[in-house]
Amino acid sequence: MMSNALCFGRDYPASGAPCFVQVDEAGLTIVFESTGGDGDREVAPFAALSVSAGGLDHDHLVVKWTGAQGERTLYFKDPDAIRAFRQAAPGHLSLPFAQAAELVRQVRQRRRLVWGLALGMFLSTVLGLWFGSDLLVEIAVSRIPVEWEQKLGESAYRDFLAQQEVIKEGPAVAALGEMTQRLTEQIPNNPYKFEVTVVKSDVINAFALPGGHVVVFTGLMKKADSGEEVAGVMSHELNHVLRRHGLERIVKSLGLLTVVTIVLGDQQGLVGMMKQLSVELLTLKFGREQETEADVTGLQLLQRAKIDPSGMIKFFERLSEKDEGRMEWLSTHPMSTARAERLKAELAALPKKSPELFTFDWKQVQASLGSQPVVAP
Amino acid sequence: MKSEILYPGAFPMVRVELTAGEHIKAESGAMVACSPTIDIESKMEGGFLGALSRKFLTGEKFFFQTLRASRGPGEALLAPTVPGEIVILELDGVNEYMVQKDGFLAGADGIVIESKMQSLSRGLLGGEGFFILKISGKGTLVLNSFGAIHKIELKPDQEYIVDNSHLVAWSSTTSYNIEKATSGWIASVTSGEGFVCRFRGPGLVYIQSRNPGSFGAWIRQFIPVSE
Repeated sequence: MMSNALCFGRDYPASGAPCFVQVDEAGLTIVFESTGGDGDREVAPFAALSVSAGGLDHDHLVVKWTGAQGERTLYFKDPDAIRAFRQAAPGHLSLPFAQAAELVRQVRQRRRLVWGLALGMFLSTVLGLWFGSDLLVEIAVSRIPVEWEQKLGESAYRDFLAQQEVIKEGPAVAALGEMTQRLTEQIPNNPYKFEVTVVKSDVINAFALPGGHVVVFTGLMKKADSGEEVAGVMSHELNHVLRRHGLERIVKSLGLLTVVTIVLGDQQGLVGMMKQLSVELLTLKFGREQETEADVTGLQLLQRAKIDPSGMIKFFERLSEKDEGRMEWLSTHPMSTARAERLKAELAALPKKSPELFTFDWKQVQASLGSQPVVAP
Repeated sequence: MKSEILYPGAFPMVRVELTAGEHIKAESGAMVACSPTIDIESKMEGGFLGALSRKFLTGEKFFFQTLRASRGPGEALLAPTVPGEIVILELDGVNEYMVQKDGFLAGADGIVIESKMQSLSRGLLGGEGFFILKISGKGTLVLNSFGAIHKIELKPDQEYIVDNSHLVAWSSTTSYNIEKATSGWIASVTSGEGFVCRFRGPGLVYIQSRNPGSFGAWIRQFIPVSE
């Protein structure tokens, strides 16, 4: 006979005596294991019993009574035995039974509730950080003065130039100067002093650093069919600076701890860290959201500067359909037809303005840069 | 499975005698020596997920050793990692023990080992972590401790207070609540006890005479800091 309960009493070991509980009309019959099938048995009438829930998780049924051998406590959790007991038990036990069951339910519910709350708090913290981080980053960035941004961009700019050949004068520099002037004239309350540098490289690329340094590679200028196309890229890059996208990326990569520090003040200690990160600016890849923002605001700026905005769209489209081998500009600026479509829709929504042409001749500018770039297979 | 504790005290070993074909499970790495008739297999008790949960949840080892007397009867010597006493319990199929995560050393094949989640308060403050081992079934169970093992026998409704990191095992008929050691919060911390467990009988509570965490903290001050 398999034991299904433990019986505790003065004459039993503290770990309890294993026993088998049988339920009949009169009460419980407890048969002890150690003495074999028909040896030591005890009978407990229903009238003498009291029931409750007990054990580590309140999942045991505890039956107590006082018999001839003194106080007895029976612990069992075998579902069959409990069911049989409950069915046979007379009226006066049904209330304590219900109370014991209620207690078990309450304990389980409370435990589920506590775990649920703990999990909920954890999840909401994670979600809060995930979705709230954009707001925090915005707050942090808005508290960093423009001078800092310029210093940061300056050091990154110098690091970059150390390895590059710069074109200091000529038609290309003059043409970019004219574009920059026409664009910046249309920026109200511009805190930045934009400086455009032309770097001799066949890579089709252009980038902007925080604080106002814009670098255009000659490869990009050779690739463009008109001044308006380059102006489109310029407008896009200027808006990265104006929207402080580079700074946003740095702050994001610096992590939340820093964000909190900045929000709370104490900007001084961060200068060293930010300088290190400024090197990484050169390989900075802007997020898609930032790209879209720079596209749209860039388009609006072109419109205000009376530069034909279709040049920007044309240049993007051309980049997306042709060879991708050496188009670094493309890899950092993920191109898709959706992006061009979006720009077209934006353009359609803007009021039509008659564009004013640039004073330079683009073909001559390109000729001053040398031969056409080698197109990768 | 017949077992005997050799060299009782701080550095004991267990000698386990196996009849032909019999097998036992032991903590991975517990085997010290054995007869050539015994094969050692590593086994993921409770299947892959069970083993995984045991590893990540309780910090117990992923694999258990199975020692099988496949080529005739033999004996094996088993020892735990930490210095401390060993206790042998006989489970009868009704008794269940909760064992803190490092307490299991070996058990007969009829022993069932599960990971069990504690309630949040017990997990946070009980000193055993959120997951403990629940050991049930029928057969011999060998537990190890840090320091000496002391058995506390509790009669029905009898209470006893144990510092939380001294627990080794307790029967599932007992229940416990986490309490502050003294009535005030500050005194609870400064008394060095922090939180204690108030156990209520009936049942057995096995405690260890040393606290592994405190010992670790004490020994850390003597470890030279490497540059």
